[in-house]
Amino acid sequence: MRRTILTGLALLTLAGGSLAAAQVLRVPMPRVGPRGQPPPPPTIEMLQADLLANSGSDIVYFTGNSHGLDAAAQATLTAQARWLHANPAVRARLEGHADERTPRDYALAIAERRANAIRDFLVLQGVPAAQLTILSWGKERPAIGGTSDMALAMNRRVRTVLMP
Amino acid sequence: MLLAMLSAPALAQTGAPTVIAVPPLATPENVSSSAGDTGLIARYVADVIASDLRSSRELVVIGPENARVYSYPEATAPAFAQWRKSGAKSLVTGFVQARSDGRLTVACYLHDLAGGREIARKGFVVAPAEWRRAAHRCSDAVYQQLAGRPGAFDTRIAYVAESGIQSARVKRVAVMDSDGTSHRYVSAGDSTVLTPRLSPDGDRLAYVSFAGGQAHVRMLDLANEADRPLLPGNAMSFAPAFSPDGKRMLFSMAVGGNTDIYATNVDGSALQRLTSAPGIDTAPGFSPDGSRIVFESDRSGTPQLYVMNADGSDPRRISFGGARYAAPAWSPDGELIAFTRVAGDGLRIGVMSASGAGERILTRGMQDEAPSWAASGRDLLFQRGEGGRTMLFVVSVDGGEGRRIVTPQDGSDPDWSRPGS
Repeated sequence: MRRTILTGLALLTLAGGSLAAAQVLRVPMPRVGPRGQPPPPPTIEMLQADLLANSGSDIVYFTGNSHGLDAAAQATLTAQARWLHANPAVRARLEGHADERTPRDYALAIAERRANAIRDFLVLQGVPAAQLTILSWGKERPAIGGTSDMALAMNRRVRTVLMP
Repeated sequence: MLLAMLSAPALAQTGAPTVIAVPPLATPENVSSSAGDTGLIARYVADVIASDLRSSRELVVIGPENARVYSYPEATAPAFAQWRKSGAKSLVTGFVQARSDGRLTVACYLHDLAGGREIARKGFVVAPAEWRRAAHRCSDAVYQQLAGRPGAFDTRIAYVAESGIQSARVKRVAVMDSDGTSHRYVSAGDSTVLTPRLSPDGDRLAYVSFAGGQAHVRMLDLANEADRPLLPGNAMSFAPAFSPDGKRMLFSMAVGGNTDIYATNVDGSALQRLTSAPGIDTAPGFSPDGSRIVFESDRSGTPQLYVMNADGSDPRRISFGGARYAAPAWSPDGELIAFTRVAGDGLRIGVMSASGAGERILTRGMQDEAPSWAASGRDLLFQRGEGGRTMLFVVSVDGGEGRRIVTPQDGSDPDWSRPGS
């Protein structure tokens, strides 16, 4: 189910306005730009889109108060680890979130714990720890407003955000 | 026998509400001050006292609208026979007088009409702009005398003012008098801010800010708005709480997925770690005597409330109600602990005894959290989420309907100061 949604999102991205950017990333980068100038470096948005396309998702979701990683999350993170390993110059910030039903202070703590669980997994997959930083947002940046079960589930997450 | 009855608090004697008359204060001479004419201020002071006493919901207030106007000498020697006809049992009089140094004298007197005698008096010399503060302190004196409990009218509320869409809320720390006046913002809104906490003397405010990225505790001086991080470095710290003497701070620090409780002096020195259990220990708060700390921990698997000594020793779980518990707050008299209860039916505010017995749920919202005690120990201020908005509410510890505290924008994370701060 989760995989289906994410594949749909990736397709939407490819079919939508960012088609050009996605295509640029899918062909080998030209070594020399027009008139012999070096090409402009890819923007952070282009890199983020590439991570998304190659990992299936830049977000991992959690159930309840947990910080455990299910099989789908581990598959996503394994692919993220490959991408990060292949792009050692790109730093990533793991941004942890909690849902609206979590009281304020506990939300900050559990979102930090989730982000650390992701970091530990990525480091075990060979990503250098120095490439990763942690940021807990608590429940301050919900992906979806409201307290429906769907909103709560979509907000319990860690997003891998590439940093300029 | 008669004397004993008169000295006992009026409200404690009967269930019937006490009727009190609050006519406009007098002025010996109508003089212009920097905050307006003394005659006008005298009327405003009575407005504030009447409004304060009405908000207690324990007193029936007559005036100042349509109340009998009296002369300056009558402030200390009222015509008792005249006032008795109003049906009131008590009367508040007073005066506002301009001083030669540019300041004002604000005086108030509480009279027992049946006995025909004065039972309390207060006088303040204040800058003209501070007349409202003097009025609140008159209200405190009147309430203390009639209810036998300290009033909380000369108190402030710090909270987080919210605006904008849910996924990118703009949050600013705001401070106001507890009646909603003198409202001001003390942070700019360029960084997300959380959980403001007023120091016991009211001069400082500790809060959490995301300025620079990571959440961390900052200390703000309210007089000059000087603002600095509590701790050096860029560790993630949150959930600040002052000690009752205002000298120490409690807070949580998260390191590598483990959150513990620490204490430090308010200048950030003398850092002390108080918990070391694996898991999350957060939301600490002192008992009113400073000897113990209530906090939230998931060391048992789910978030529950614990009490430990102020040095971190002897932690004991007190919540056993079968739900998750958060955001504990110790009552001013030390008897009760308020909390947020998290269960399938949402977040609710409740109280239990300091030993964990006698749990009672006080609110019926779906998203009620973050209780803060009124100084009286009778009311709890909290935040209610409803339809994508957050608002401040007050509920009596005896139950009943919540009452909304109107703020210019949405509000969350309220903190109610102690009196005299």
